[in-house]
Parts: sequence; structure tokens; C-alpha cells
Amino acid sequence: MNALFTTLATATATAAPRLTGGFWLPQASSTSAASVDWMFNAITWLSYFFFVLIVGIMLVFIVKYRQRGREVRAGGPTHHTALEVTWTVIPLLLSVVIFYLGFKGYLDHVTPPQDAYQIDVTAQQWSWNFRHPNGAQTTDLYVPADRPVKLVMRSEDVLHSLYIPDFRVKKDVVPGRYSTLWFNAPTPTGEDVTLAHNLFCTEYCGKDHSDMNRKVFVLAQADFDIWAENERTKLERTPTDELYWRVGPILYKRCVSCHTLDGTPGTGPSWGPHDGLPSMWERTRQGLQKFADGTSLKDLIGPGKEFEVPEDYLRNSILQPGKHLVAPYGNAMPTFQGQLSNKAIDALIGFMKHLDEFDSKGVWKKTPPPSAPAAEPKKTADNR
Amino acid sequence: MTTLDATQGRLNIEASADNYLTHTRGVLSWILTLDHKRIGVMYLFAVLSSFFVGGVFALLVRTKLLWPDAVSWMTKEQYNQLFTLHGAVMVFLVIIPSIPAALGNFVLPIMLGAKDVAFPRLNLFSFWLWLAGAACVIASLLAGSFDTGWTFYTPYSTRTEFGGVVWVLTGVFILGFSSIFTGMNFIVTIHKLRPPGMTWFRMPLFLWAIYATALIQVLATPVLAITLSLLAIERMFHIGIFDPAMGGDPVLFQHFFWFYSHPAVYIMILPGMGIISEIIAVHSHRHIFGYRFIAFSSVAIAIFSFLVWGHHMFVSGQSSLMNTIFSAITFSVAIPSAIKVFNWLGTLYKGSISLTTPMLYGLSFLFLFTIGGLTGIHLGTLNVDIHLHDTYFVVAHFHYVMMGSALIAMIGGLHHWWPKMFGRMYSEFWGAIACGLVFVGFNVTFFTQFMLGSHGMPRRYYLYQPEYQIYHVISTLGAYTMAIGFFITAMYLIHSLFRGKLAPANPWGGRSLEWQCPSPPPHDNFPTTPRVGDCYDFSIVRWDEKEGGYIVDRTLDPELNPNAPKRSSH
Amino acid sequence: MTAIDSHATPLADPHAPAHPPGGAGHGDGHLHSKYPFLAHHFESPAQQFDSGKLGMWIFLATEVLFFGALFALYAVMRFREPQVFAFASQYLDTIMGGVNTCVLILSSLTMALGVHFAQRSKTGPLLVCLILTFLGACGFLVIKYFEYTHKFHDNLKWGPAFYMPVAGEHGAAPAPHADTKLVEVPPASGTAAPEAVVSNVPSYKTPPVDASTIKAGSLGPIGITSPSTAGEAGEGTHGAAAGHGHGDVPHLYDPDLPVDTHQFFAIYYAMTGLHGIHVVIGMGLMVWLMVGTIRNRFNSNYYTPVDLVGLYWHIVDLIWIFLFPLFYLIS
Repeated sequence: MNALFTTLATATATAAPRLTGGFWLPQASSTSAASVDWMFNAITWLSYFFFVLIVGIMLVFIVKYRQRGREVRAGGPTHHTALEVTWTVIPLLLSVVIFYLGFKGYLDHVTPPQDAYQIDVTAQQWSWNFRHPNGAQTTDLYVPADRPVKLVMRSEDVLHSLYIPDFRVKKDVVPGRYSTLWFNAPTPTGEDVTLAHNLFCTEYCGKDHSDMNRKVFVLAQADFDIWAENERTKLERTPTDELYWRVGPILYKRCVSCHTLDGTPGTGPSWGPHDGLPSMWERTRQGLQKFADGTSLKDLIGPGKEFEVPEDYLRNSILQPGKHLVAPYGNAMPTFQGQLSNKAIDALIGFMKHLDEFDSKGVWKKTPPPSAPAAEPKKTADNR
Repeated sequence: MTTLDATQGRLNIEASADNYLTHTRGVLSWILTLDHKRIGVMYLFAVLSSFFVGGVFALLVRTKLLWPDAVSWMTKEQYNQLFTLHGAVMVFLVIIPSIPAALGNFVLPIMLGAKDVAFPRLNLFSFWLWLAGAACVIASLLAGSFDTGWTFYTPYSTRTEFGGVVWVLTGVFILGFSSIFTGMNFIVTIHKLRPPGMTWFRMPLFLWAIYATALIQVLATPVLAITLSLLAIERMFHIGIFDPAMGGDPVLFQHFFWFYSHPAVYIMILPGMGIISEIIAVHSHRHIFGYRFIAFSSVAIAIFSFLVWGHHMFVSGQSSLMNTIFSAITFSVAIPSAIKVFNWLGTLYKGSISLTTPMLYGLSFLFLFTIGGLTGIHLGTLNVDIHLHDTYFVVAHFHYVMMGSALIAMIGGLHHWWPKMFGRMYSEFWGAIACGLVFVGFNVTFFTQFMLGSHGMPRRYYLYQPEYQIYHVISTLGAYTMAIGFFITAMYLIHSLFRGKLAPANPWGGRSLEWQCPSPPPHDNFPTTPRVGDCYDFSIVRWDEKEGGYIVDRTLDPELNPNAPKRSSH
Repeated sequence: MTAIDSHATPLADPHAPAHPPGGAGHGDGHLHSKYPFLAHHFESPAQQFDSGKLGMWIFLATEVLFFGALFALYAVMRFREPQVFAFASQYLDTIMGGVNTCVLILSSLTMALGVHFAQRSKTGPLLVCLILTFLGACGFLVIKYFEYTHKFHDNLKWGPAFYMPVAGEHGAAPAPHADTKLVEVPPASGTAAPEAVVSNVPSYKTPPVDASTIKAGSLGPIGITSPSTAGEAGEGTHGAAAGHGHGDVPHLYDPDLPVDTHQFFAIYYAMTGLHGIHVVIGMGLMVWLMVGTIRNRFNSNYYTPVDLVGLYWHIVDLIWIFLFPLFYLIS
């Protein structure tokens, strides 16, 4: 019970983040939100009216016609056709009107404008990948402000659903077909994570369903262009020896839902030391990995064997994850073939090699050497 | 031979000391009984046990949600299993069989003045099927549990590593047949075993509701059965009909699933509405208002229920045309529901309203169903639903309808017929307290969830943004309040079984046939089928001190007794 | 609660004894002693018979919807991929299907005659009819068994098994293409044993990726089948691989094999299999009726079970009459 009060206290503490928007709806941040909100509020006020009417009449009758003693009055009319017709026709008319308005609002927002900026979305258990026309790929969604944005979405595995409450948009992502949605967010949020909008997966997709939430950053067109260009060339511009701390943590966000860094078991093996084993990199280097089929990594690494060097094994595990399953884990990892460039894989392997330089959330603990020129604008974006 | 007692004014049944509870003894006499009353009581026990289990699952889920972050004592997998189990148990084991199979089984033949349902063996077989289905659900827990959500959406359900999926599908398949056979039995019973004098438009409205429900059970459940079979086959043999990786279509599964599961929503709520019609008329001691409109609206709801399944799929990628059509038809369901609510209000007008425990539940129903129904308009409206779909708004809406309405009606019905079933009265004081706690707790729990949902909180989330926490905490406190209310209910009901005051035949002033046989009823209910008049004509009901209850003075009914004094019709 | 009416002055119910709507009987005793089969809660044999009949009709309605869902599924699938149905249908044996249709129709006739004899208390002819119906059902299943085994032998199956090379070919005939690889598809989530799938893509066309690492779940229809290339690869080996299947060419080597053809066999086995289960249930009911007939339970007063099983058997027959053209007589 104590824990409960503590929770209550923290929940009510002013430090806790607040919901945006009003009593019912979150902030309206897209051009289509206004009509949805109008409709929502209209129905809500209608509901208040009928609720007060029905419950009010009920309470009045309860008081007025209370049974006194054991009387059985048994009076009152048993039917009244005019009344019946009235309360059939009024709801009927109201529902026709509401249907029509909702239908109209819906039609206005199904078809994306021709000039929409297109982002290709890939959903998989349990991460989002947003690919921009220039080839830049991110796990958070960055969109230009005041411009129609069209998301073309597909799923690698099971059903997902992309939902941005502040934009009032949602669409299922169905494997085996493309689905689209579009929006236009007029107000920039910048790269400030406290202003960014939430993006949720709303179709239950398994264990880490609730981890499939990301942020949406709306950048003014000029900022967005710079950002997109930076993002595209990020890998190329980063010196090889800085890849692991500049790019590694960003890429790790696609791995975090299954692979922890602090040794906690997840859907896949933790990259950190656990159960008396050293970190993933050391395990690989020393060949300590045991596979589900009984073989051991020791026998596979070395000149002339399946993997020339330990890095080969890690690379292979990312591209062909089902080939050697680490006991006791199942075959749950999707392949990243075609999704990660060579440099990106280098960055991830480097990340694993220098794991002691990162905290348990994957944040680099060191500060960049002052001599090193910042290869790109510093990111403030961070995911929960 | 049926006789009438002029003074007592009720059917005088010889050897009424012998009731169905004491007729035969021993465990086997229950397990193998063909008596609808005993089968109803066994169902009741089974359903209430499942309700307890499903409720514990819900409390665990709600307790986890006190904290937005991971908790050490419940993993994500466990959370996912718990909300899945909560849904599956509550839908398939509790709400669907609760009113028709438990209360309906007990009350329906007595209301008809019949000795039993048309097919007593099939009735018992249905119960055994229910047990077998429940056993399969338990087996699925042993076989590795399942975490698919109660909707079993493909392709997740064919891929999840939890091993209990096929078991639970088998369980639901079997439960489906239990439901089909119960529905069949009730349709035939109502068609063929009505007593003399009871035309279709003289049936108690509970029977109309059960009849409409049975139609849905018989016509919709086979589709679920075949859909779930295909899913199980898909999972075992990879036939690929629903698997996109093999050219199948997962959205097709959703169509098939909701073709049953939307009507199933009305399998749950329609009997509840029937109970409310009975409770409100009896406890207002007055003729139901707008009988025909209530009766027809039940049938209308049953018919519409088959045409609206697509509204579960507004964001699934079905065509805009389909969305539009389904949205339009969805609104048509609002009309018969509204008609019912207004007619219940009309029944309160100029009645003699006694605030007994069943009536408190009845009035709670009116309150909660109004909210549940009105928020349905938000969800039926296309563009608003896009925002609300798969959020806590939907969770709150269907809990208001499924729990706040269907289950509250079931508990109201339980209190209404409890004296009839077990011959004992419970404590009205504790009844009112418990009802109040449940009512307040329910609203605190689920009204908060409307706000969570409209602010965008998705369903089935283990972790959530900290800004939602305050709502979750309030909601969980409401759930605890409700749990206390249900706990008190269980206590005083169990107490009444052993220590309760003996119940009169007619403690509330009911007019239909079940109030004219002793409490508890004898093995055969009625020696011969009694003749009935207007089952909502309360003018011949009066309180009798000696009896300690109300009596239906059949001698005053001109239809039953030609010598009765002529009355001016009201 | 025991009701005690100490000062009761019983008044005869003016309308007793009551007549239920469906019944002609009088409340008590003598009808029940006259008709031992009359259940205690029915007032007359007529009411009991009507109830049974109505119940059966409702059950048949559920059966129709049970199959109706599958017919709807069939309609959707065929509407989406008509070419699959047109192509795959040629692998079904129309003659065997036709014979089976006749067998079932005949057994429906004998069943109807059985009901006719039961209504006239002719026990002997009834028994003969039941035995004939039972034999008809057996005949149907035997023919179905031959159809199924033939298809199983040719791997005309559902899902990935459809793309396995036909068992006999490994030894007897040379592999369809020198570069064909046998690919192990790991079970999706461990629910089924690994199944071998042939990928007929010549290896020089494929990147040097070991296909064994591709998850079953991520294999699209193309991933499983590579049907177009399957055709190409197979063209040169028609002669060698001939001699299996209904057609001259095993399905995997048919250049016209459409994508998703395995879906046809999925729905084919689902529907005919479910129908087969109903036939087996029908046979059980026949045996039950035969026992009842031998024990002389049925006569012109009480033939409800025969009548109801007859209805059931007709619906099983009727469903087959729809299944036959929908699967066998396409194109």
C-alpha cells in the first residue's frame, strides 16, 4: 500500500510530464485534426445532453414514484404510439446527420494530395524504420512542417498499426500489402524531444508491442532539408574510428527491444556480460557462444573455417540470424539484409567492441575529444 | 391437478416440500441431472468461478499499470498473457454463457410453465461441452499459454512461440458448440412449449431477448467455429489461407472473426436487456411500457448485428466504400437501443418503484448503458474512430457495454432470481452497499479510461508514457473498489445460502409464472402447464402479510377466472 | 420454502387441463404410460415430434452456416485468383468425383426410403435401407481415400508441402535441374516439423545466400515457390519426370503453374475433409439406427430418430452436390 501512495505522489508531482491538450483531446497538430475534434466535441456534447436527460428523468421518477409501503399502484399508460415514434425518429435523424458528417470528414482525409512528401515505413517486431526519398533512414519520424506527408507502410512480419494521436491519424500496417496515410503538420517542433509528438503502434504485435513507440519531429522546411542531407551523408562523413560512438547508439535503437546491454535476458541474448559470460564481443572472440544445435562457436572461427575472424560471425548474425541460433533463444530475429550498409554494420560491431564506454541505455559515457569536428548537428532526440 | 388457492391466490402445488434441490441427492444426481434448474445452477457456479478467475487477471493487469515502467514482478510476456486470458475467459467462459446458459436455463422453462427445456439431454451435453471447453483453456495454460489477445489476429497467432494457442482455439470451438446447442434448445422450447394463453406478444420480454439471442447463437457461432478451426489448421499445417507469407490474407481472418464476434456482442447484451425489462417492470410494480417496441427492438438488434462487423476494421485497410457502408449500418443499431432505454424510462413513470438490490442494479444498468451506448456513437463515426480505434477509449466503451451493462444485468438478474433459485433472502443492506461500491468503482475505473483513450493511450501496452500515469492510478483504484464490492456480494450471497431468511414464493411482486411456484421450485416446476394471462398485468398482484411476500391473485384475472370481478382497463 | 395453505379452498382452474400450443394431449399420466418414448416434459407425441423436427432444422441451419463460411472463403479466394482454381482443378479426378456424387445421391434415396418404411412400421425394409445407406457412405469414403492418397503421393497438398519434389523422383528420375537446391525451411515458431522445399532457382541466378536462413514466415509466395522459374527449370526435364499425377506433367514442372496454387488445395482439403468428417458422423448415426431397428424401437408412432438422421444425411448429400462442381468442374 505504501508503494501505492508513493506512486500516487510521484504521479501527481508537478515534475511529471503533463498531457497536452484539453480535458478530452490531446493537442491538435495537423490540418485534419480540427474537423475530427469538432466532430468529437459535437458528439460529446450531444452525449452530455442525452445522458443528463435520461439519468435526470430516471432520478426524478425514482424519487417521485417511490413505492410507499407495499403498495402496487400498477397504473400508468402501457404504451403511447406518438411518443414511441418520436423517440424512434429523433435518434434516427440524429444518427443520419452524424454519419454524414463523419463520412464527409473521413473522405476529406483519405486521399493524399499529389505533391505529398513520401516516406517509406517498414514496421517489424518491434521497431519502425522510416526511409526518406534521399535514402536517409531513421527510427524516429522526421517530417517537414506545413507540407503534406504521405507514409507508405509495409510490415515485415505481423500486423502493426501506426498512430500519431496529435495528428489524429492511424492506419494498420498489414504484411503482404502496402497501406498509406497522410497528414500535414503546420507547426514545427524542432528537435526538442519534449515538444515532439508521440507515435505509437496500436495493433498488438507481441512481446514488445509497447516498446514500438517513437517520436515525431516536425522541422521547418529549411531545417528539414539540412537535416535530411546530414542524415543521408552521416555514415559517409563519419571517420571510421568515430563510427561506433556516433552512429552505433543510433543504430542500437533498432536492436534495443530484444538485446539489452546490462545482461538482462531479452528476446535475444544480451550484449552485456551475464551469467558468468563476458560481453557479446568477448564471447565471440573467445568462441564461448553455444548454439542450439549443440555446436560451439569455437569450432567455426578461424582461418579456413566458416568465419575467418570473429567480426565475420557478428556480421553474419545480423544478416542471416537464423543460421546459428544461440541456445536457448528461438529463431525470432528478422534479417537486416539490405537494410544496413557495410558501414552501419561496422558501427554496430564497433559498438559491441566498446560496450564498456556506454551506459546500460546505450548512451556514450565519454565526451567527444575537442579536436574532433562534429560531423553532424548534435542530436537531442532520444527515445524512451 | 393444478388448483388455485382463493385466499393465497397462487398455484397450489402439492408436496411442495420437495424441491429441485432436495429431489435427489448425491454428486452423481447433479452431474447426470436432466433438470434444467440444476443445470442452470451448475452453469451459474461455473460461470461465477470463471468470473472470479478472469477478475483476478484483470486486477493483476491493472496493478501493473500503476507504474509506467517495467516492474520486477511481472514481465512483458506475463502481462500479455494476462490481458489475453482476461479477455478470453471473460468473453467465452463468462459473459456469453452467463445469462442464457445460467439464468436462462433456470428461468426460461419456469416462465413458460414447462417442466423442462425441449431437449434436456442436449442441455446437459451443452454443460459438459462447456466444461470440456474450459478444460481445454486450462490445458492451454499448461501447454505454454497464449498471448495473442482474445481476438487471435493472424499472422501473430500463427507465429507466436507460446504453445497454448491450438489448445485455446479448440476450447473456444467446443464452447461455441455448447452455445449453439443451448440456443437451439431455447428456440425450440419457446416455439413448442409455450403454455396456453401465452401468445408471442404475451411472452415475458426476457424470453424475447433470449429468443433473439438464441437466433444469433445458432447462426453466428458456426462461422466462428470454422474460422478458428482454419486458424488452428493454419498454425499446425501452414495451409496459408490467412498467412500473407504464403499468399493468404490476414484481413480476411478479421472479417470472418468479426462476422461472429460482433453478433457475439449482442449475445452478451441482449439477454441483459431482457433481464432489465423484467427487473424494471417487477420492481416498479407496473406494466412494462411499450412492450411491442421492446420486443421488436430485440429482434431488430439481432438482425442488425450481422451487418455491422466491418466497423471493427475501419483502419485495417478495407476500402473506403466498405467503411462507409459499415459506418452507416452501425448507426442503425443505435435506434433500437435508444428505443429500449426510453421505454424503460416510461416504465418507471407512475410506477411504485422499490429500491431493492436487483432494482439498484437495474438502475445502474440504465446509467452505465447510456454512457456505453452514447460513446458508441463516437466510435461509429468514421473520422472520429480513426483517432479512437485501438485506444483505451474502445476499452472503456466495451467495458461499459460488456461489463457495465451485460454483467451488471447478470448480477441484477442473479439477485432478482436468487430467492427463487435457492429459497433464501440475502441482506438488502449489504446488497445496496455492494451495488454502490461496484457502481462507483466501475465508473472510476472506466470513465478514466475514456480520457486515457481520447488522449491517445493505445490498448495492450505494458509500458506507457509517464504523462498517462495519473489516469491509470485512478483507474486501478476504481478496480480495487469494484473488487471489494464483488467480494462483499460473494460474502452475503454465500451467507444467505445457509443463514438467509426463507424466501416467499414471490418476494418482489413479480407477475410472470416463475413467481407463482414455490421457492425453490419443485422438481417438475408445475404439475401441468398452467394457463397464463398478461404477464405484465400487475393489478392482480398484492402484498400478503401472512405469506411474507406478494401474491398473484389469479382469481381476479378475468382471463383465468370468468367469475372475476370486471375491472376497468387502465 | 414450503407453502402451507391451511385455509385453502381449492378452486378448480376453469381452463384446466391445459392444452399446449403444439400438443393434443391431456396433462397427465395416461399418454405417458401409453407411449413409453414420450419424455416427461412433453404433453403429447405430436409435440415431442414437432420439437425434435424443429430442433433438427435449426441444427441444419447451423450446419449450412458452418459450411457457408467455407463457401464464402472459397468465393473470396476464387474471385481473387480465378487462374489458380482453373489450373488446379485439372488435377482433380472428375470421374471419381462424379461416381462419388452418384453414390451419395443413391444413398440419399435409400435413406429416404428408410424413412418411408419407418413411418409404416416396416422394420425389415428399414434395416435393409439403412445398411444400403451405410454401404453408400463406405463407398464414398473408399473412393475419397483413393483420391486423397493419389494426391498425397504427388504432393498435391497444402502449404509448403505442395512444393516438395515428389517422393519417388529422387531415386527414379534425375533431379529436375542440376543446380536445384534442397532448402530446409525452419518451422515458424516451432509448431511443425521442418519440411523440405525445393527451390528451383538455378544457383548462378541467386546471390550466394544460404536459403536455410530465410525464415518461413518471411517467405512470400514467390519465396516459397519461385513458380515462374520453377517452370523454366523444369521445362527441359518433362520427359524424365513424367508419369506422376493426373496430368502428364507433375505440377511443379508445369510451366503454367500459377502463383499460390497451394491455396486451392488448402481450401479443397478443408472443405472435402470437413464433409468427410460429416460422412463419418453419418455412418455412426446409421449404426445407431440399425441397432434401434433391430431392437424394434421404431414404428409408425415413433420414428423421429430415423426422420432426423434422414434430414442430416440429405444435407450432407446436398453439400457434396455443391462441392463437386465447385472443385471438379471448373473451366
